[in-house]
Amino acid sequence: MTAIAAEHGVHMTPAPPGPRGIRRLLAPGYVRCLWTIPLMFGFGAGIAALVRWLEAWHPVWNGTVITTISLATIPLGFLGGIGGFDYWLGYAIGRPTQPEDHSGHGARSWKDYFRVNTDHKVIGIQYVATTFVFFIIGGLMAMLVRAELAKPGGQFVDSQTYNSLFSIHAALMIFLFIIPVFAGLGNYVIPLMIGAPDMAFPRLNALSYWLLPIAGVMFASSVLVPGGGFATGWTGYAPLASHQPLGQVFFNMGVQWAGASSIMTALNFLVTIITMRAPGMTFWRMPLLVWANFTTSLLVVIATPFIAGSQFFAMFDRVMHTHFFDPIGGGYALGYQHIFWFYSHPAVYIMMLPGFGIVSEVISTFARKPVFGYRLMAFSLVAILILGFSVWAHHMFVAGMAPWLRVPMMVTTLLIAIPTGIKVFSWLATLWEGRIKFTTPMLFALGFVSMFLIGGLSGIYLGSVPIDIHASDTYFIVAHIHYVLFGGSLFTIFAGLYYWFPKMTGRMYNERLGKIHFWMTLVFFNATFFPMHYLGLQGMPRRVYDYAPRFAGINMFISICSFILGASALLFLYNMITSWVRGPLAVGNPWRANSLEWQVSSPPPIFNFDAIPTVVAGPYEYGVPGARHAIMADEAKTADSVHAEAEEVRH
Amino acid sequence: MRRRSFVHLALLAAVIAAAVTAVAVLIPWLPVSASRERDRIDVTFWLATGISIMIFSVVAAAILYSVWRFRVHPDDDSDGPPIHGHTGLEIVWTAIPTVLVTAIAIVSAVVLHDNGTTVKNELHVKVTAQQFTWSFQYLDGPAKGVVSPDLYMPIDRSMKLEITSVDVLHSFWVPQFGQKQDAVPGQVNPLKITPTRLGTYPVICTELCGLGHSLMRRQAIVLSPADFAARRWAAGLPGGPTAAGAPPGQPGGGGSGKAVFAANGCAACHTLAAAAAAGKVGPDLDKLPAEAKRAGQPLESFVHESIVNPNAYIEPGFPKGVMPQNFGQTISKSALDALVQYLIQSSKGGGK
Repeated sequence: MTAIAAEHGVHMTPAPPGPRGIRRLLAPGYVRCLWTIPLMFGFGAGIAALVRWLEAWHPVWNGTVITTISLATIPLGFLGGIGGFDYWLGYAIGRPTQPEDHSGHGARSWKDYFRVNTDHKVIGIQYVATTFVFFIIGGLMAMLVRAELAKPGGQFVDSQTYNSLFSIHAALMIFLFIIPVFAGLGNYVIPLMIGAPDMAFPRLNALSYWLLPIAGVMFASSVLVPGGGFATGWTGYAPLASHQPLGQVFFNMGVQWAGASSIMTALNFLVTIITMRAPGMTFWRMPLLVWANFTTSLLVVIATPFIAGSQFFAMFDRVMHTHFFDPIGGGYALGYQHIFWFYSHPAVYIMMLPGFGIVSEVISTFARKPVFGYRLMAFSLVAILILGFSVWAHHMFVAGMAPWLRVPMMVTTLLIAIPTGIKVFSWLATLWEGRIKFTTPMLFALGFVSMFLIGGLSGIYLGSVPIDIHASDTYFIVAHIHYVLFGGSLFTIFAGLYYWFPKMTGRMYNERLGKIHFWMTLVFFNATFFPMHYLGLQGMPRRVYDYAPRFAGINMFISICSFILGASALLFLYNMITSWVRGPLAVGNPWRANSLEWQVSSPPPIFNFDAIPTVVAGPYEYGVPGARHAIMADEAKTADSVHAEAEEVRH
Repeated sequence: MRRRSFVHLALLAAVIAAAVTAVAVLIPWLPVSASRERDRIDVTFWLATGISIMIFSVVAAAILYSVWRFRVHPDDDSDGPPIHGHTGLEIVWTAIPTVLVTAIAIVSAVVLHDNGTTVKNELHVKVTAQQFTWSFQYLDGPAKGVVSPDLYMPIDRSMKLEITSVDVLHSFWVPQFGQKQDAVPGQVNPLKITPTRLGTYPVICTELCGLGHSLMRRQAIVLSPADFAARRWAAGLPGGPTAAGAPPGQPGGGGSGKAVFAANGCAACHTLAAAAAAGKVGPDLDKLPAEAKRAGQPLESFVHESIVNPNAYIEPGFPKGVMPQNFGQTISKSALDALVQYLIQSSKGGGK
């Protein structure tokens, strides 16, 4: 047993025998959901029916109202059933508190990944696995969209289904894949990187994870609702969204659950990073991924309430006859877009900054060089964080908002190119004269820099108001967002997953398959999305299931390439799953990296470190003779001497 | 050694710049320009393209050169030189992009200002968007009073479109004019267009507006000033020559049911052989008699009710609440009667 484990009084003994018989109905787990979900459903539906009966509104039992309320109550029943609230409820009813209760910590078998678990490493893997399930569902929807678009005219889905397909595709990819997969990777890596035994609030951490599948199931299942899934794009603009079939409410409510999950995780990251850094881990010694998650978390905490508000208001317009965005009732139609983009533009950086962090780690490790201009890299993250809140209206250049807003928002938008440019140039300078090794994570990091460059440059076009007026709401936008979110975010996600795969699973992935995956992705990503720039500028609007016959050839080409791109994702999944099951065992530090997560075993012990390490220098001291990032516990005896030596080298 | 690296890098960047410039110039990225505003937008576009080519070439060259020149064998355990940064270099690559984006911002602001400037003798057109069609009402000039589903414009004369919507968001775009503006219920958004080239161009709705969004297409037709003033194009349209004196929105003379059908955008969603309409969003109007039978109503009252109260009977296989519910208010009674008679006559043959 390790020192920290002893201090926490935890015993990694075999799991206690599970409850039997009637007690299974009371113990946390799926069995308890059998009665907690109906209970909460009945509670919500009962109140709704009671109010309608008292007010003499008919019908008393109204399907739309019951469904809307159930989208709040059924998830609460589920969370209560699996045990998300047990500790706090116990505290509330006066049970003795157990501050050092680690019964829900660590995974003894694969079954523990399907339970409420408070170990950040288990939660990290739960996050990543769950988000990839929704990545597959969202990806299949993209394949259907491309199949429909292969030829002009209707092929095999009707217009309602088509509109739902691209709407749910985007909602899943944004809210259930990119944003949370970064939260999952961060969950696994951040406490290790800063030398902490876990996140600051492990029970909150567990709860944030379990909100996520709720949101995903809501988005995906909206296709089963009478009238079809939500069909207004992931932007869900009012007033169209206020006059849609019931499926729209599944979007409004799903966003609430995903947003709550994001906010809780972000708060957890902030408190963890501020309070739980190991001795010597000053802010200026934090790896850039920690900086990235810190700034991202600030964005999430400040911005996410705005999308929650926008979706509540749009939903109230629909179900409660309010008029937030309905001009006939005195509302302001563009108000929705202002509130929505005040979140959703920063959300672009929520989806980018963690990727910037990952790429900084990967490039430094595989170029064997310190990150060039470390402090400016951290400052540029902060600059993006601040500027990110001043550009939302560039999504509304053609919307008919106050005309004077256009030029200031264009200026701030173009200014964001400067910190972003600093990051790109710093990565290039890190590569320069490095000792570059082409592992799969490094390939994806280099692919990211190249693809994000193209996405950034098309962003310059769109930042310029006159060009945006021409290109807005066309396939140029579709190309741009996929260069930013696929070529940008997804490439960094792949880089990060390959990079930390040995740490997370204790096994090595198949390098050859990884490289094939990279080249397939790079080639067919470009073949799929680059021609869309042309389509958009020439006159093909986005979100259409039918288009001018002269675009038929290019669309067929794009569709075929997109299917191969989809197949490349299967290669990735195959590599991940088979390597996890039977890949060769990984050593603690296969990449000879400096940061703390690599200084412990793969996978790390239950409380990460035998004893909290002491950080003595920055994380990227490659090539500095004798330099160390940290001194581990087993070297503690000689810590002082090494520390002195390291200081000597630095000065 | 290091100097030779930079020479190689510069050569590589030049080669890449040449290749990317060829791609930018040889592929016709933009459709032909047909307005003064598009000409100005194109200036901004090419400025941004020039700057993008510069940045792309430098970055792509640096990546390609680095991976080629600095790659090592997987077993090489050596580290790179411990370079932590270079303040001068960092200032340079902060300053150069600042200058470039400032240049784009200034040019863009000037173009934006010019493209919105009021000129003398403007022609005013009220543009009303609705699911899933457009209506253009001429407020002054030779065509004053005409209401058309397509936009007819005299060449070389500045037009001010005053764009609004009666239901959800739409967006007016003609790629050849470059100008785009959302139509928002409850407000009127201006848009200036000065056509400079004769021809017919597509009017495209670019803001997702519901099931018929893909089909919300009309045409913009640029005519010579003489042809525009002669108003032959407006014949049969409400307020057009054959219906002189009729207030806007009223049908013209004979055969006006067809005009009402066209002016209200029915063709965007419905199939009707007599009007060459092939929309698939709503039920097939050539099969109206069969549908009335399913609804259990006489044909005439069924057709009438289906227009003014579309949710009263929903044909199986079609979603409820898609068809605008305000036609009872927007189409005058006489026009509605003409439309109902037109639909009954046209559907008698069952589309044959």
